[in-house]
Amino acid sequence: MAAYILRRMVSTIAVMAMVGIFVFLLLRLAPSDPAAMIAGRDAPAEVIAGIREQLGLNDSLPVQFMRWVRDMLGGDFGISIFTGRPVVQLISQRLEPTLSLSILTMILSVSVGVSFGILAAWRTGGLIDRLLAAFSALGYSVPVFVIGYFLVYFFAIRTHWLPVQGYVPIGGGLGPWFVHLVLPTVALSLGYIAFIARVTRASMLEVLSEDYMRTAAAKGASSYAMLFHHALKNAGVPILTVVGISFAYMIGGVVLTETVFNIPGIGRLVVDAINNRDYPIIQSVLILTSGLYVLINLTVDLAYTLIDPRIRY
Amino acid sequence: MTITRRQILKTGLAAGTALSMPTILRAQTSPDDARTVRMVMADLTVFDPILSGVDTTRMHGYAVYDTLFAIDSKGIPQPQMVKKWSVSDDKKTYTFQLREGLTFHDGSPVTAADCVASIRRWGQVDTGGKLIMARAKDISKADDRTFMISLKEPLGTLINMLVEGLFLAVMREKDASRPATEQVTSNIGSGPFKFNEALAKPGASFTYDRNEQYVPRQEAADGFAGGKVAKVDRAVWQVISDQQTAFAALQAGEVDFVWTPPADLFPVIESDPNLELQVLCKGGTIMYLRMNFLQPPFDNVKARQAMLHLVDQEAFMRVAYPDPRFSQTVTSIFGNNPLYSNDENTGWYKKGGDPEKAKQLFQEAGYAGEKIVILQPTDWAEVSDASQLLADMLRNIGVNAELAPSDWGGVERRRKSKGPVEDGGWNILISDYSGYNPTNTPFLLANGEDAFYGWPKNDEYEALRSKWTEVETLEERQALAREMQGIWWDFVGGVLLGHSVQPTAHRKSISGLLEVPGSYGFPMWNMQKVSG
Repeated sequence: MAAYILRRMVSTIAVMAMVGIFVFLLLRLAPSDPAAMIAGRDAPAEVIAGIREQLGLNDSLPVQFMRWVRDMLGGDFGISIFTGRPVVQLISQRLEPTLSLSILTMILSVSVGVSFGILAAWRTGGLIDRLLAAFSALGYSVPVFVIGYFLVYFFAIRTHWLPVQGYVPIGGGLGPWFVHLVLPTVALSLGYIAFIARVTRASMLEVLSEDYMRTAAAKGASSYAMLFHHALKNAGVPILTVVGISFAYMIGGVVLTETVFNIPGIGRLVVDAINNRDYPIIQSVLILTSGLYVLINLTVDLAYTLIDPRIRY
Repeated sequence: MTITRRQILKTGLAAGTALSMPTILRAQTSPDDARTVRMVMADLTVFDPILSGVDTTRMHGYAVYDTLFAIDSKGIPQPQMVKKWSVSDDKKTYTFQLREGLTFHDGSPVTAADCVASIRRWGQVDTGGKLIMARAKDISKADDRTFMISLKEPLGTLINMLVEGLFLAVMREKDASRPATEQVTSNIGSGPFKFNEALAKPGASFTYDRNEQYVPRQEAADGFAGGKVAKVDRAVWQVISDQQTAFAALQAGEVDFVWTPPADLFPVIESDPNLELQVLCKGGTIMYLRMNFLQPPFDNVKARQAMLHLVDQEAFMRVAYPDPRFSQTVTSIFGNNPLYSNDENTGWYKKGGDPEKAKQLFQEAGYAGEKIVILQPTDWAEVSDASQLLADMLRNIGVNAELAPSDWGGVERRRKSKGPVEDGGWNILISDYSGYNPTNTPFLLANGEDAFYGWPKNDEYEALRSKWTEVETLEERQALAREMQGIWWDFVGGVLLGHSVQPTAHRKSISGLLEVPGSYGFPMWNMQKVSG
């Protein structure tokens, strides 16, 4: 097991290095100039050239790359070209909102999605199954911004029950923090609930048709015991896989939700940085999210051993 | 089973509490402080107003830094930090004395040495500032509150230059000692608001607190001039990138002000009894198209004149700024500014344009179907739409127009290219300008390869432009403006597509917003909030 984890950690570093090289080159080859963005539309060419020089953007690509690698290895993620603030500080400001939204969304999605999936499998072909299939299709196909605007209209503008936008850090009070996350969490969760429910249903149906389930029924096991003690545990591996992938995807993919509900998270940070060509931020965030992605996958792989004793590394 | 009245009451109370919980919690987090104004602004990405001419950076500068002079609502420079000033009889030495009681936000007094260092830093990058530096024999302090600018030759518009172009922010000497191309690391000024570093969240929100030590002038606020009295304790800039969300927040009272609401929401804003539209930046902007003078066909004046006759300004304004209340035609290169706008040599203007004449002029220019590349910034909606309209207009008269779409960053990089279109060059770009001072408005330069992108060249015009800084009276400059414009429309240094102003949207509880002559944002002093 230890050797496996070590191998996976080494491969994580390799993946992050490849992401780093790719992102670095892609950004530098893109037709844009952060110095011009800083100076403004009407700035004369010589002013832009002066800023480029000051930022070290006139150095050759290998020189810039080596400087970046050296700083990264020393734990220095650099300074934002625009704001002049440390990238680590900017990322840390944005990590809490994104993690808050992602974790709440996962809690809601997994609890509701798995429940719906079990319910649909238990009553397969019936009215509940068909209703849940319709809900899944809807949740999966309606874009998050449509759901978001709908929720804002009814629950914020019409009724004033919940705020339209913004984020309050957990340090500002659990109540305000939670209230500001209710609508974005619901909006973001619908798609994931649909996805997890479909996978759970399919996985449960497969297990429920196994011989040992028939044996359990013949021995007089209750529906509860059959569903939760026998079926769910054996259907857990594919469910865990989609939950893991969903969570990893969500960390970097919540930008639309963050935009609609004006949550200052990682997604918006990186989109703004791409618009401005703020290289140090883009590079650092992408490396961070790729690392997180790999680590979450590793955690999921390790969690398989808890669910299925046959899996060993 | 029986249910007692007590149980019903308990259950009802619990249900009521549960249902009202979100409202209670929401109220606790609302901006209910009557002396805090929440404003939806564009993102503040650069904090140094000397380094960057971007609007938000300039507005940050207005709040945090004070200025030697400021323009009033009529566009006339008025003393601000300066108590009194004088010029010697030979017009070569200007002496400035600072007001008493000026202090930086760190408590240190503003001295003449800070002003000298700030002027020198600004003079490295601002067009007018560079002219002052080139003409200056010495810029030095006489005592802690007095400094002088000594010139080799008189410079009639020196005071105007100090208030036009890049924002001349007076910084501490140690900050102003940095190169102008390197961003200052602190936000310490002597202006009416202090930048709250602890609450700064780049990309999300910025907070400005009232500077209680600020000593405003006694005069009433007028444009950027007069007494800068901060009437709110705190102004919070919020960055809400989605305009629909920003509008919903304004409707719900979560924010008080939206700087640039989209035109399609104007009717909805006006139908809401709590909201109103107001134009604060009266100067507005002029959308223009610039042709590349270095490449065919626009190296030929006939082709440039063809563009002048082709353009239908009303059509461009309909596309870019659909609400006619906020846009109009413009025929003067000095815009619709009351000081210098004039009708010299504007006979080319025809409502709806004159495509036939344009076609004829292209033929006279020897145009033979070469590709004409129009740079199209897809992330700047107004200009992107105008570029598409222009391409259609050109195709309708048989010109082989091709759009080159990219984001503004891509346009910016390509517009530097002076080569032919086959080598990544370009023929036409659309942008906007707002200044009317030909000394520091890049669009109004025509000094060839030193000019702004497109590199127009006309020596006769340039000879007149160089006189702009020498003349002293408004009447003289107005006469000069007529002469310059007469030549401009002959060689067609650029073509105007229309003039527009951007209204802001705010809740009616906000009052005292100052209307200013420029287009670079507005000051936050004088505004106040009425609770309830």
